[in-house]
Amino acid sequence: MKLLTGKWSFYINGTLLALLIVFCLYLFDDTIGMSDGMVVISEYCKTAVEEQMVENPPPLDWQTGFLLGIFIGGLGAAIISGNWKIRFFQEGETGIIAKTVKTIACGVGGGFLVMLGLQLAGDSFLGQWAAAIQLSGGAWVFIISCFVVASGTAIMLERRREGTDEE
Amino acid sequence: MEPLALTGNYRLAASILVGMAFGFVLVKSDLTWRKTTLNMLLLKDGRLIKTLLFSLAVGATLFFFAFNFEWVHLKIRPGYFWASLIGGIITGLGMAFCCRVPITAIASFASGRLYALWTLIGMLLAVPFVQVISGWLSSSIYNWSEPINTHEPITKYMDVSNPALWISAISLVVLVFVHFTLGGDEE
Repeated sequence: MKLLTGKWSFYINGTLLALLIVFCLYLFDDTIGMSDGMVVISEYCKTAVEEQMVENPPPLDWQTGFLLGIFIGGLGAAIISGNWKIRFFQEGETGIIAKTVKTIACGVGGGFLVMLGLQLAGDSFLGQWAAAIQLSGGAWVFIISCFVVASGTAIMLERRREGTDEE
Repeated sequence: MEPLALTGNYRLAASILVGMAFGFVLVKSDLTWRKTTLNMLLLKDGRLIKTLLFSLAVGATLFFFAFNFEWVHLKIRPGYFWASLIGGIITGLGMAFCCRVPITAIASFASGRLYALWTLIGMLLAVPFVQVISGWLSSSIYNWSEPINTHEPITKYMDVSNPALWISAISLVVLVFVHFTLGGDEE
């Protein structure tokens, strides 16, 4: 039971992620990722907003089915391990207005930039990871630049926040 | 032996099941939580870095053998140097703010972190924006360099020219370095 409720070690998680990626290639014989699924959902939302009505659910193909599966799996794992908690705001701010503004700005702005970059690079993050495992040079350029910039920016933002706290 | 290449309802059912497995592993590995991802980016916690490095090390070797046994085919989208570099920089900037990528945002939202919905909204808004600027992208960034995905197939694993061997070895060396400097797998 502890296997399901406790944290898993890095070598178990790493091995499972790698196995799943290669297993997906075997099962689907296609590029894996969720970029296409997100495009389908985005198109669906755009049509619903333009027509101001929701007649049918979004089309369920293997790409959107993958998104649904991630949702179910994440929900199941969080409930089993006792981590399922409703949270409306990200941590780090005090005061309802500051929390709301920071949560929305970081969420929408960050999400927009993440998907913009992924679309520019041509695949979702999982797709880039799978491509890196398949030794794609483009995916390696993407992953290295992504983590260097993400880490550098996060460290600078943290230092700025600590500096503001000291003042 | 060829890849299964499922079709129709089998493909849909398999995609849901595999997605469930991914969602489960993402939560168990802490990749869905904003705080642990932020600590990874701040180089305060090595747990996630080790998970990602280990998946690269195992995955590159696993793919090498699966490819040579013809269980899988090479399935990658064309990658262009400048598009990958600029895309990586922009994604990295976004990740520093929201600490999520699409797959972890969905799993995080499913775990009750409702604020991940804002990240998903931002991601969905980016899709039509890219469609608007796609004409400009095709005539500029994608034209600056040739695709860089192709590599010669190698059949011998213990060969110094085998990139899978190098990637696995370098990932493991960096993993050991991270383990002794950042730590992060105490539980």
